[in-house]
Amino acid sequence: MAEILNANPTIRNASDLPSRRRQGHTQPSSKTPKGLFSGTVPPSAYLSDPFSPSSLSDSELSDDDNAEIEPIDEQEIYDLISPISDPEHPLTLGSLSVVNLPDIFLTPTFPERGSSSPLTTLTVLITPTITHCSLATVIGLGVRVRLEQALPPRFRVDVRIKEGTHSTADQVNRQLGDKERVAAALENGTLMGVLRKMLEGCESRAV
Amino acid sequence: MSNVQQYLLTVDGDKEKAQSLAQDTARGLESKKLTLIEAVQSLGEYINDDDATIRARVIDYLSQVIGQLSPTFLSRQQIQVLCQFLCDRIEDGGAVGGLRKLQALGRFNKDMAAMTFRAMLEHFQDLQIRPQAQRLQILELLNDLMSKHRSALKELGNESIVGITDLVSGEKDPRDLMVIFSILRVVMVEWDISGHAETLFDAVFCYFPITFRPPPDDPYGITAQDLKSRLRDCIAASGYFAPYAFPQLIDKLDSTSPNVKKDVLQTITACASSYGITTVSNYSVTLWESLKFEVLNVQEEELAQEALVSLQAIAIRLGRGLDSTDPKTPLARYLRPITKECNEQLQLPQHKQAKPAGQILSALGQASSVTFFLVVKAVVPGLMTLFQDADDTAKRRALLEVLVQILDSAIAVYGTSSVPAPTTEVENPLNPFKDRLFELSSQALMSSAADEVSFRVVALGALLRLCLLRRYLQDNEIGMAVQYFNETVLAEDPSGNDDLKREAIQALIELSRIKPNLIMEITFPAFMAKLPDASPSDDRDYLTTLEGLAQLSVERHVADTLIRRLLNRLDVVLKTQGPSAYPRAILSTLQHVLGQRDLHLDPNLSSYHERIVVGLTSRVALASAGQAPVTVLNEEPTLEILGRLATMIVRALDEHKQRSVALQVYSLFVDEANFVPVLFRDNAPKLQMSTLILSTSLMAGVRQSVSVQFTDSGTGSIEKTLAELVRLASQEDVPPVRQAILRQIGLFTNKFLSAQETDAVVGMLDDLVLGLSEAAGAPENAARVVFWVAKGLILRLARTDEILERLLNLLAVRECGIASARGFGLLVAPDEVLSRENGAKIRLLVKQKVFNICVPKIALEFRTADSATKSNYLTALSGILKHMPAEVVMPEIDRILPLLLQSLDLEDSDVKAATIQTLTVVSQENPKTVEGHVGSLVNRLLKCVRYPEVNSANVRHNALRCLRIFPGRVKDSTLLPYKNTVTRGLLNVLDDPKRNVRKEAVECRAAWFNMDEPQSD
Repeated sequence: MAEILNANPTIRNASDLPSRRRQGHTQPSSKTPKGLFSGTVPPSAYLSDPFSPSSLSDSELSDDDNAEIEPIDEQEIYDLISPISDPEHPLTLGSLSVVNLPDIFLTPTFPERGSSSPLTTLTVLITPTITHCSLATVIGLGVRVRLEQALPPRFRVDVRIKEGTHSTADQVNRQLGDKERVAAALENGTLMGVLRKMLEGCESRAV
Repeated sequence: MSNVQQYLLTVDGDKEKAQSLAQDTARGLESKKLTLIEAVQSLGEYINDDDATIRARVIDYLSQVIGQLSPTFLSRQQIQVLCQFLCDRIEDGGAVGGLRKLQALGRFNKDMAAMTFRAMLEHFQDLQIRPQAQRLQILELLNDLMSKHRSALKELGNESIVGITDLVSGEKDPRDLMVIFSILRVVMVEWDISGHAETLFDAVFCYFPITFRPPPDDPYGITAQDLKSRLRDCIAASGYFAPYAFPQLIDKLDSTSPNVKKDVLQTITACASSYGITTVSNYSVTLWESLKFEVLNVQEEELAQEALVSLQAIAIRLGRGLDSTDPKTPLARYLRPITKECNEQLQLPQHKQAKPAGQILSALGQASSVTFFLVVKAVVPGLMTLFQDADDTAKRRALLEVLVQILDSAIAVYGTSSVPAPTTEVENPLNPFKDRLFELSSQALMSSAADEVSFRVVALGALLRLCLLRRYLQDNEIGMAVQYFNETVLAEDPSGNDDLKREAIQALIELSRIKPNLIMEITFPAFMAKLPDASPSDDRDYLTTLEGLAQLSVERHVADTLIRRLLNRLDVVLKTQGPSAYPRAILSTLQHVLGQRDLHLDPNLSSYHERIVVGLTSRVALASAGQAPVTVLNEEPTLEILGRLATMIVRALDEHKQRSVALQVYSLFVDEANFVPVLFRDNAPKLQMSTLILSTSLMAGVRQSVSVQFTDSGTGSIEKTLAELVRLASQEDVPPVRQAILRQIGLFTNKFLSAQETDAVVGMLDDLVLGLSEAAGAPENAARVVFWVAKGLILRLARTDEILERLLNLLAVRECGIASARGFGLLVAPDEVLSRENGAKIRLLVKQKVFNICVPKIALEFRTADSATKSNYLTALSGILKHMPAEVVMPEIDRILPLLLQSLDLEDSDVKAATIQTLTVVSQENPKTVEGHVGSLVNRLLKCVRYPEVNSANVRHNALRCLRIFPGRVKDSTLLPYKNTVTRGLLNVLDDPKRNVRKEAVECRAAWFNMDEPQSD
């Protein structure tokens, strides 16, 4: 990397980034007593009886919740892309406010068909840290690659520069929107190297 | 034939014999049969031989002889002669070894040392063309001279400096370099090197940075770090090096390799710590100018940390012995540009470089009280103004964070009230800001909007640090802070983010260590007042309060008070109607608090016994018999918590008291007129049956030696009681009560059964097994009884082989096979009642034994089993493996892996989950074993991952996790053929209904995608 384009960007505190925990908690708190006592006081002991087949002993994520469907929402998309690291700084796109929760839009691709068509269009607007950031394309590409790897095929992914945040936004958008150019870019070894480095932060430590 | 001749003949074939010849000559000399002259003369004809090897061997022989002589045998003159002789022939192999032996002798003097040294310089100009082994020997001779005859070499002055640097130049072998670095360091530190600094510096700095990598089998035992440390010691050895070292080190900071940069930074730190103050001062600002980039434009956290250490090292060096805050000292001059730069960065507090600026200030502030003073004077006033003028919370938070970092260095310099730092003359420069700092952080904590959580967390941190800082706040001010923390914990918080509450509790806990009285006087009453007298219907705030109280009760008398008050509160609550969650929470809190203490030593133990064990237990019993009002205590879940409490207390009682408890296990401290024990009665009412939960708990706490009284006391012999319990368990259908009875059975067969009685119980087990195998209809309860009786016996390894044999036979029985198969999961599962703590007899080798008996048999019989019972074997296997440590399973893994694969095809979720768990452990610990099965594993796991209708979220999630383990652990070439199958197979899972399954799928897919990509460094 030759020279840093924006050496001193604004950053957001990690705990201030939107997260599911904060949102979800507005519902009445969970049914089991939380925190302190769950360690010392195991849930009712007869759950560990192996003879009752349906008793799923480690029921953290099972049981009655099994039926409930959790659809893919904006927050989930945000969680997928916000940990991508910036090619210039060891900081995440989330903390640099390059990706923002309000700039993620999920819409049915064919609204007229209602729920019969599962096809969904996902639009992500990215905000470069400075208006002449030459790395905007790379960032956009990183977001795109991440989403294409992580979302089921029924999603149409559209990554664009947020209006008024970049001097050559149209040009970048054309590049990001052009399937063939994206595919060609992904053949480029150096570029892929940069992308891989950016996406490294997305993987949680192996178990 | 002379000894020399014989030596020459034998040395090739028989080293030991040759050595004994040298020894022989040495003895001859010592016993005066032979003179030294004769011995040397005997070398005569060979010493000038044309063949270098012969010359070398002869000298070698002489060296050996010298080595064998007693250290005081040779006179000074003789040593002189030998030294001269060896120096003349120093180029012949062996001479160096001889000289090494000579110089170790006490009579070897300075002149000889100088002579040897000069001979080395003269003859070894071509050192680098010699083989490494020789070079090393020569260097070791030099090293010996350096350590034993240092003054002789030192007197040679410049001659030795130039000589040594010339001699060692061009060396590349790590073993030689280790010696060279330590020789040179002595010269650098002890010689007057003022005229030769550059020569010496170049002699070592040419090796910087060390890029050595030990060869794969590490034959030398030398690491790159060893070399780096020695080289660093050389570079830091003398302040004369500064003009060369600092510029060159700064140059090398531009390197792209993080390793090199780290080495450079550590070397700068070493130099700054050891060079003189004036020297360091000359370069301090230049160094700052370079080092600041590493911190402000952080690329790698580790390097930024190293750079901070370097900056701090310079400040420590410049501040050593200094207690003046005068602005003209070298330290003040060093700090001025730094604080200026940081102040500038703080103008844009929410930008990236503000945080590292804070880190710099904090690192420097910790260097000494004087640096702290100067930093605070330069930074804090501006910081306060900035904070005052800041218009949004993000800015204020960032500024407050810097303040917290400065307070951290204040604590490092001045200590806390409990851990004082070394005293210092310098007055705490934060004193003038005390009121404003207190006000500002209190306001930030208490007057910000409730949802500004991260801001308030920082404010809380600042306030806590102010409280902790030694000799800073008054007690009444700390008291106010405590109140703020209380309010923060107790306040209603719609955002549901408990970060702040957790931090507030932590703050109170920290303060309870230094000011327990404030916690007692302020926090305690406030928290207790928040606890309702009756169960609230839906509000759960009391949980936070109870948690807070429990965590705060670290101090003994705080805990005592809490226990007393909670018991009183429980009495009040039990008088009212309402949901049971609240009284349960109170009991759980009691359990937590009591569990934190060493009850054996607790002076209040007997009062706990009276109030909790006797009081509450008899209350339950009376209520169940209609002699008292029925309360929440009579509900099974409450009984279980109460039971745990009782077990804990009974366990701590002395033998005498336990005996009285043992007598009351079934009568529950109530006389017969009011409550009749439920054993040996027909159709006892449900409420009374549930008191068995308490009986089990009491029994669990009683130690084994007390059992005699307890079994003899009216309940009849142990067999009779056991038979009764079996009867009750078989017909009980309330799960917690049934579980309690089963555990009693386990306690009897494991803990209280004497060895003589075992036979009778095994006989009983036989009958039960027979009954089970012939039973028609639902066999679950019968299976439970069988396996609990067996569990108790197996854990103490009583007749394990035959018992397991009988249990395994059940698997082939169509009716009870499934129930029995599940039972295997129980045998070695940990249990909270049948535990070592409760005095259960659990032998060390139980798990191995169960594994070794069951697994081969299961593997064998599975093959011949008919299709209807095949799955029973797989279920039993998964149950056994569930609680097996990996080291037991691994040796047999080849045998069980095919079975595990088949279990994945079963429909039973429990079995599948357990199997996936085992497979995960196996693939993690020993990926080689799964290599041959990757194909079938991948396909089966993919099957478990799809089909949400069949596979629970748990199974899907864990199967993905298992699948994710392979890349990186199993060879890429083995996995590659399946890469497409997996990445494509997971495509649909990305649309799984469950969020955490999708998340796992994304990561699993990424792992497979990236597996064969070249790793970037």
